[in-house]
Amino acid sequence: MAKKTYDLLFKLLLIGDSGVGKTCILFRFSDDAFTSTFISTIGIDFKIKTVELRGKKIKLQIWDTAGQERFHTITTSYYRGAMGIMLVYDITNEKSFENIVKWLRNIDEHANEDVEKMILGNKCDMTDKRVVNKERGEAIAREHGIRFMETSAKSNINIERAFCELAEAILDKTSGRESAENPERVIIDRRNNEKAPGYSKCCA
Amino acid sequence: MSIFKARVKEFEDVLAAPQDLIDLKQLRRLAFNGVPDVQSFRALTWKLLLGYLGPRRSSWTTTLAQKRALYKQFIVELVLPPGHSINGDGADGGDGDKADSRGVGLQDHPLSEGPESRWNTFFNDNEFLLQIDKDVRRLCPDISFFQQPTEYPCEIVVHSKGEHGRRLHERVVPTVLSSANVERKGLGMTKINLITKRSVENYAAMEEGQEAHWEVVQRILFIYAKLNPGQGYVQGMNEIVGPIYYVMASDPDQSFRAHAEADCFFCFTALMSEIRDFFIKTLDDAEGGIKFMMARLSNMLKSKDLNIYELLKSQELHPQYYSFRWLTLLLSQEFPLPDVLRIWDSVFADEQRFEFLIKICCSMILIQRETILENDFASNVKLLQNYPPIDINVVITHAGSLA
Repeated sequence: MAKKTYDLLFKLLLIGDSGVGKTCILFRFSDDAFTSTFISTIGIDFKIKTVELRGKKIKLQIWDTAGQERFHTITTSYYRGAMGIMLVYDITNEKSFENIVKWLRNIDEHANEDVEKMILGNKCDMTDKRVVNKERGEAIAREHGIRFMETSAKSNINIERAFCELAEAILDKTSGRESAENPERVIIDRRNNEKAPGYSKCCA
Repeated sequence: MSIFKARVKEFEDVLAAPQDLIDLKQLRRLAFNGVPDVQSFRALTWKLLLGYLGPRRSSWTTTLAQKRALYKQFIVELVLPPGHSINGDGADGGDGDKADSRGVGLQDHPLSEGPESRWNTFFNDNEFLLQIDKDVRRLCPDISFFQQPTEYPCEIVVHSKGEHGRRLHERVVPTVLSSANVERKGLGMTKINLITKRSVENYAAMEEGQEAHWEVVQRILFIYAKLNPGQGYVQGMNEIVGPIYYVMASDPDQSFRAHAEADCFFCFTALMSEIRDFFIKTLDDAEGGIKFMMARLSNMLKSKDLNIYELLKSQELHPQYYSFRWLTLLLSQEFPLPDVLRIWDSVFADEQRFEFLIKICCSMILIQRETILENDFASNVKLLQNYPPIDINVVITHAGSLA
């Protein structure tokens, strides 16, 4: 067995309609690159990235899923083990936004109750093609009490921040469970805290 | 070189022999070891092995003429928008009551919500068409073939005569309304230029009179989905039709190449009839479904190498992490296109269909055995989901040696 090179292992999952950019988001985060020529994901794909949060080495095991309904029996089996789930829609695609509700229902059905969730409105660089404004994204996130961010895998906007925030939320929960020393940490709303200190160090 | 020439000669003897009846058994035996990349060998062999053409050479002319005419009819009936100008008098069949002899009379119109409305169907189609559109625009991005114009565009589609929506992707191009550009004359608005179109840069649509190969593939998948409404379009079908179309559309024989679209459609349909169950969610657990196939692979691995099997199991590296895609797509996403064609030669030649596919998958794991035994879970998932570059003949030879 290889030596353990990390302190914590977090399992994350990316879900959302086909073509919203899940694979590109993951590729940007793991390889810091972008290409518009990705083949469609069939079944489930996988990437690893280690980040550092509050002095802890955290290994993120990220599963990228196929968006189409046919693959749900294959992909929903991964919901159970996931500690964090990114729900992705495309700000230039109304339908993908409307379906966020459907994806949330899927999470309720298949994931652990305390799974950390985050909604991402991707392709925010394409301002001239936008059909879903930011306020609607924020509203649906508020309604469900979930974090929200607009991202662009192409222009590298908020990708790293999104993963780190999700990881940090899981970390809060994990450490809260391990020892109830910091109960006030559990409820954190970062949406109004755009430039919180500490992010500069994360994901180094 | 002489070995290669000998192989070519063997294929010539089977395919171009003077006798009428082609020896399918012999063809299978030859194709199993790979079809040489010369003449029309591969395209013709696949047509025979998939059952599109019968073994009697004398039947081909009739079969091809009938099937190609049928396909053309599919295009007219299923692809062209309702009320298009060439949907001629005969199209209404026995319905003599209609005052309007064109396909869609005054009773039907784009805003009709009636279940019988062809316009209603037309708009419903657009939902799965959108999915097809996304996928064909990302087909084989590592080669430029699908982005290039075909020599043989579908004439009734590419000459729009000013009609919108003959090209399938035109129906689902996201349109953005922007303000301005409204010219007024007198009291009424006369001209509104506010629809802007866009498409993925490299898979751009062609000009009037031309179309790219991906547009042809889009039409094939659309017609297949229309004719198989219970199944519809499922992601991954694009990866199945891609290699077949590539082979048909690069046939050196111009008389075949000109009909690549129709021939590919029927070969694809024939292949889908064998692997359709992989794409149907409700059949996942049935015999012939994808989980059944994955279990077959898993069992073979267990019997060939218990150590590897146990290791993957202890790492909780479930077969669906890798073999779901391997099997559903017949390995088309795991290797470069030329290697995929070589694999499919053997897979199509296999009479106990898919036994050999499973052997190839099993060999892919066994060949990496030493690495897998060293690796942790994450490295192993990566290895199996991104299979390292390899001489494909090594894999096929290994698979051939599995009893």
